[in-house]
Amino acid sequence: MHSAVALTPRVADIPAIQEPLLNVSDLSLRRGKAVVLDGVSLALRPGETLGLIGESGAGKSTLALALIGLLRAPEVQLDGSMRFRDTELTQLREADYRRLRGNKIGLIFQDATAALNPCFTVGAQIAEPLKRHLRLSRWARRERAAELMHSVGIPEPRMRLDAYPHELSGGMQQRVMIAVALACNPELLLADEPTSALDVTIQAQIMELILDRVRALNSSAIFVLHDLALGAQVCDRIAVMYAGQIVEEGPSEHVLAAPLHPYTQGLKSCVVELGSRRLVPIPGQIPPLNAMPGGCRFAPRCPKAKTICSEQRPQAETRDGRQVACWFID
Amino acid sequence: MFQAASAKLAQTLLVLLFVSAASFAFLKLAPGDPVSIMLGSDYSKSSYDQLTHALGLDQPVVFQYGNWLADFVRGNWGTSYITSQDIFELAVLQALPVTLTLAALSLLIALVIGIPTGVLAALYRNSWADVLATTLAIGGNAFPSFYLGILLIWLFGVDLGWFPVLGFVAPWEDFWQGLWHLTLPAFTLGAWYIGLIARITRSSLLEVMGQPYILAAKARGEPAWRVVWVHGMRNVLMPLVTVIGLQLGGMLRGAVMTEVVFALPGLGMMVTTAVLNREYIVVQAGIMITGLLFVAVNLAVDQTYQFLDPRLRRR
Repeated sequence: MHSAVALTPRVADIPAIQEPLLNVSDLSLRRGKAVVLDGVSLALRPGETLGLIGESGAGKSTLALALIGLLRAPEVQLDGSMRFRDTELTQLREADYRRLRGNKIGLIFQDATAALNPCFTVGAQIAEPLKRHLRLSRWARRERAAELMHSVGIPEPRMRLDAYPHELSGGMQQRVMIAVALACNPELLLADEPTSALDVTIQAQIMELILDRVRALNSSAIFVLHDLALGAQVCDRIAVMYAGQIVEEGPSEHVLAAPLHPYTQGLKSCVVELGSRRLVPIPGQIPPLNAMPGGCRFAPRCPKAKTICSEQRPQAETRDGRQVACWFID
Repeated sequence: MFQAASAKLAQTLLVLLFVSAASFAFLKLAPGDPVSIMLGSDYSKSSYDQLTHALGLDQPVVFQYGNWLADFVRGNWGTSYITSQDIFELAVLQALPVTLTLAALSLLIALVIGIPTGVLAALYRNSWADVLATTLAIGGNAFPSFYLGILLIWLFGVDLGWFPVLGFVAPWEDFWQGLWHLTLPAFTLGAWYIGLIARITRSSLLEVMGQPYILAAKARGEPAWRVVWVHGMRNVLMPLVTVIGLQLGGMLRGAVMTEVVFALPGLGMMVTTAVLNREYIVVQAGIMITGLLFVAVNLAVDQTYQFLDPRLRRR
């Protein structure tokens, strides 16, 4: 499907110096004793798109939920900083955070069928943030909801306003989710595997749609994906996550063309390429949260691991305009 | 749609026919002879035969059933052997409203206490609120209503004197007096339901709150109370209505006990008195009304499903 998405990153469009919209630094998330996110740092400029790539269990979705404030104390323990414009999100009161959710920060869920309430019409669910944050009148909400449905490519939006989620196809449901997330023109859009529950033929359409809308609104977006090549294709920059840490982060084309971290290299060679009969899987799996190795968390699966890797955690180093956390960068 | 409805109706009628036949047969097999009860201790053979013939009790059972059913459908339910009162009037116009009022008030009390208790228990799972709710639920289910009734009479009626001990005042004649008289009985009957409703609300809400659409509602910036009471509870209504409908039999059964304990002139009281007097036809009327109520509620629950769950609606 990668070749089906013909999208060019737009690094060139972005002014080099600009205040970051989102600045996450040394963010850790603990659930009981388990360290789910460990020292995550990343910055996102206005209008920029970032792909968070990694296996299931790497902490990508957790990071997305933490950013939108749905994983907070007392449920989990957050350390470090998440700055959104001038707001420190980790210190934000719940009532103020609620004003950001669905308003300045939107979230698209993986499985729209499960994320839409079966008992309410899609029109009502799209109109909800319009009422909550923009205080639009009933009539204005309906108008705007229809416009939004039109903008995400739902035909005959006025007829579909009163449809229930089960009356729409999976692709249409995901379009509704996108309309909900974009209802208040968010500055930051989080998309948690927005296409993985869909048919392959629909996936490219939906991806294209999200990118198109994000550009139209000049929003920033974080895509949570498990596919490195897809991420590199649709995002300006890529952050590769492994076991709650970001192991490599940088401009998409560089990361894809010449991955520096052994895990990124492994992710790249896992993909079946046209004309190649070789498929190299990464052996093993992400260790369980209660049994994380002390040094580099990837060391037990790493082909290049030496003694130091299991003893000391490598710090992120800047190399060729990207951040890599590995003791043995060639 | 129409076809489904008529099939449902035919099924319902069949159920009612079966109920009437079975109860008629059982009561025929029950010991006791209404004729000798009506005549008292001293009577002649000829007056016995005469009365037996007059009541149609000398005919074959099948004919008796047929005659009774034909009369029943016409609303001609006969007269009580003992009070000479018209049974339709006794059962439908006098006893039924009492039982319905009691049941409705009990259900209201159970909903008003049970739902918030269940919600609290679900939201603060494994906290003291949850323990309290679970204790209440199990206690309410385990406590027999006749015992609870007597306990309440003793405490609030006799000892504290807050509520009347016995008797019934129709709320449609004197609303506050009626309500005052019905408080203890309704609480007695509702106690069992409170636990049930709290338990179902707790488990259903726990399941619903784990669904992605709840997280999605939060991600839209919905306040916590709306997430629970609108997005969550809207999805809890289905299982709740199902259980309430299914347990209506338990409610009617409990009403018999409650009415006897509090001396309320309802259906339960009517049937109990009739059983003790071996008045088959009054018992029969009571059973038929109960059966009709039961079937009506089931039909209503079926209809409510379509109203509550858009996925079951036909377009």
